[in-house]
Amino acid sequence: MSNNNKIILLVEDNPDDEALAIRALKRNHISNEIVVAHDGVEALDYLFGTGIHTGRDITIKPTVILLDLKLPRIDGIEVLRRMREDDRTRLLPVVVLTTSSEEQDMLDSYNMGCNSYIRKPVDFIQFTEAVKQLGMYWLLMNEAPPI
Amino acid sequence: MKLETLVKLQGLCRDEAAFEQIKQILANEVQNWKQEINQAYFRVEQQKTLFRVITRLRETVDLETIFQDTAKEVRQLLQADRVGMFRFYPNSGWDDGEFVSEDVDPAFSSAMSQKIHDHCFGEQFAVHYQQGRIQSVADIYNSGLSDCHIRILSQFQIRANLVLPLLQGQNLWGLLCIHQCYAPREWQTTEIEFVSQIANHLGVALQHAELLADLRAEVMERVQAEQVVQSLNQGLQRAITELQAVNKELEAFSYSVSHDLRAPLRSIDGFSQALLEDCHDLLDVTGQDYLRRIRAATQRMGQLIDDLLNLSRVTRSEIHLESVDLSLLVSNICTELQQNQPERQVEFIIQTGLLVQGDIRLLHVLLVNLLSNAWKFTSKHSQAKIEFGMSNSNQVPIYFVRDDGAGFDMTYINKLFGPFQRLHGMNEFPGNGIGLATVQRIVHRHGGRVWAEAAVERGATFYFTLVAERADEQ
Repeated sequence: MSNNNKIILLVEDNPDDEALAIRALKRNHISNEIVVAHDGVEALDYLFGTGIHTGRDITIKPTVILLDLKLPRIDGIEVLRRMREDDRTRLLPVVVLTTSSEEQDMLDSYNMGCNSYIRKPVDFIQFTEAVKQLGMYWLLMNEAPPI
Repeated sequence: MKLETLVKLQGLCRDEAAFEQIKQILANEVQNWKQEINQAYFRVEQQKTLFRVITRLRETVDLETIFQDTAKEVRQLLQADRVGMFRFYPNSGWDDGEFVSEDVDPAFSSAMSQKIHDHCFGEQFAVHYQQGRIQSVADIYNSGLSDCHIRILSQFQIRANLVLPLLQGQNLWGLLCIHQCYAPREWQTTEIEFVSQIANHLGVALQHAELLADLRAEVMERVQAEQVVQSLNQGLQRAITELQAVNKELEAFSYSVSHDLRAPLRSIDGFSQALLEDCHDLLDVTGQDYLRRIRAATQRMGQLIDDLLNLSRVTRSEIHLESVDLSLLVSNICTELQQNQPERQVEFIIQTGLLVQGDIRLLHVLLVNLLSNAWKFTSKHSQAKIEFGMSNSNQVPIYFVRDDGAGFDMTYINKLFGPFQRLHGMNEFPGNGIGLATVQRIVHRHGGRVWAEAAVERGATFYFTLVAERADEQ
């Protein structure tokens, strides 16, 4: 798969954070398709072709999932759990991108099988830098699982 | 004497008169022997009774039982009319008392449960009895007793009286009284010796009883004290549980408050920066300046939220005491400070091997605060020196962090540890004034105290202890 076909799934409920994340990706010349899910339900709908994403070709999988933990309806840990339970999504890289600094959340995320845990900084410049490095790593350097 | 023996004797005698004489002599001898046998028999019975009394003393501690059984046995042995144990009322000066135990021939009245008052006894007789005197009266009407004394005794039909002291240690506790009623009686020496021994052993029983009563009282006191302690503990436990619950709630509350406060901060900061970048051409210098100030303010607020959260955690978290190597902590923190700003030239003088009992997490926060301050306030100097060590004063270790940087004016020393209090402008040195308040709280939680000395542009030294000093040292 060439770089341009790689999809980023951004799971974020805060519209400001969503706008800023997308802006940060774009400013770093990451022009891949960004799919936004506003809570855990939408995220699972996208991954498994249910609900609002019924009929989507789910063999087309995102290259990396940026996952916030604090989501309405179904939260990030639960999304992670269901992803890791299903063979179709078990190997997909998940970067937890969250405001939480609670050790328990970090433990739960890693226990549930996330690949990376990033705390969102308040400082936007730091945030942009973090997003840029994320993008570079997961989209360019990292070898995606062959599924 | 057997008839055969008599006939033999008669045959041996010269004549009838001699035989009569011999019979008389023999009869006297037999009489003597009978007396001696009776006395021996009496002594054996005495010893048996004494033995029973002593054995009982060893088995029972119940005074009532001891007195009752002893009275019965003594009366039986002596064939007296009444044997009684008389007890003086305490603090009556030995003038008042009553019989607390007796064994009496049914033909005569009981002497028990009647208050007896003899106004002469305390003054005249008590001291003699205390020294072991025994009164042996064969006939109360013929012994030179005072009229009032005779009156008291005849109340109980007493005609002959044998009285011995019952001594509880040095104290004249009461009297052992043997009475013969309505007829006089000469008390025999053997009898007097016997009841003397009985009285002695009863004295021992009295001492034991007193010891036991004291012991019981003490045990009761201790049991009650223990119960008080237990109920106090229960109250304390309840208070602790409540406190823990409140703390947990507070923790959850502050966490979610700080968390929710950060979200809009991110938006403010992010979009201000976005404005600066995307609308650069539309903004003049003033506009750009305003946006930069907005960003700076939001970042300060973010830091403030973090610091406040830390401060409240310091107050609420449980202290886990263990042995902490302060020198090692300081070393690590200084290494990190240097790594973050490798261009700065700072000399670190760290005393090694300083171990202390404390909470490692809290002590880490304390040292980070003090050392970050030292690092920050020496940042305007091209070269700086930061020291950490310990001095012993009055046997309580005093630790210090010293720098040779900007220092502060000692006039404002009172504000130094107040939250949000700053002694420098924001433009001189950044900070929100929580650091030292946190330091103070951590030191106080360990039971110590913190203070500082400084001069403007001549550096500052922060001293702290981690254990309570004795009151007379402060």
